[in-house]
Amino acid sequence: MGEVIVITSGKGGVGKTTTTANIGVGLAQAGKKVIVIDTDLGLRNLDVVMGLENKIVYNLVDVIEGNCRVKQALIRDKRFAELYLLPSAQTRDKSSVSPEQMQKLVSELKSEFDYILLDCPAGIEQGFQNAIAGADRAVIVTTPEVSAIRDADRIIGLLETRGIKKNALIINRLRIDMVQKGDMMSVEDVTEILAIPLIGVIPDDEQIVIATNQGEPIIGTDSLSGHAYDHICRRLLGEEIPIPDFSRPDGLFSRIRRMLGKK
Amino acid sequence: MMSVPSVQIAKDRLHDLLNADRLKCTPDMTEKLSADIYYALSKYIEVRRENFDLRITRSDIHIKYTGEKD
Repeated sequence: MGEVIVITSGKGGVGKTTTTANIGVGLAQAGKKVIVIDTDLGLRNLDVVMGLENKIVYNLVDVIEGNCRVKQALIRDKRFAELYLLPSAQTRDKSSVSPEQMQKLVSELKSEFDYILLDCPAGIEQGFQNAIAGADRAVIVTTPEVSAIRDADRIIGLLETRGIKKNALIINRLRIDMVQKGDMMSVEDVTEILAIPLIGVIPDDEQIVIATNQGEPIIGTDSLSGHAYDHICRRLLGEEIPIPDFSRPDGLFSRIRRMLGKK
Repeated sequence: MMSVPSVQIAKDRLHDLLNADRLKCTPDMTEKLSADIYYALSKYIEVRRENFDLRITRSDIHIKYTGEKD
């Protein structure tokens, strides 16, 4: 039986889609059969981040409405045979799908896949309700900013109310230099405020911008963010890997940074 | 020129915002709530301002009224 994980944040632009794509790749690399579903109706993005935008024939709404079978809409990843994308519909809106329909779809997919990852739209309206409808657990992505943390807190509250209590936090775009200067909230500050288990910290890394430009995953590359996503996937799979200490100049994180030639 | 570290400002603003969000009320209402609870508490037990703290989480309200550390 597969596990359904929703990747959500409340606020837009904090890295949900990039995180969904990279966790999808990471779990597939670990030998799992994975499907990633873009639930952002009207603003399709996951296909672009994964570099699969030219392969779309059918989409999520076609599947829900019965215009095609699920298998016809699935796009197999370029490199990983066990990774599939179910793209969103660009020309439809949130009301085209109901939470009940999403729940039914993901429960059917559970028998086929080990992991079903749902890329949630920003906001707390119907798109969010659809995305969380069939979720077993949630990964909440935030950045160390007041607005993103505030929205994450709201989202965690809503998830808890809906009975989704297995929640884990990703802190994205951490800038160690700014944390050390006292101009960015630290990992400890954010986890203390949000009070849910931390599953990973992704440093602010220009390599992600480059990979996204190319429609390639960052996971599997020798980069700070690539390693961070690799650790997140392994933690999702149950491995116990400590979170590196981001506050000490002599910590593992800083050493890797120096090894990779970063200042 | 030395800039003032901005983290404390961010944390203070977040603290007020989250308290208001979590109780679904305005920031000044959470302050009033805190003052009222302090007053109510002081009628029954000995409590001092500097030791009193009201902490609002997503599911609970914690009242601290001694100087003891957590």
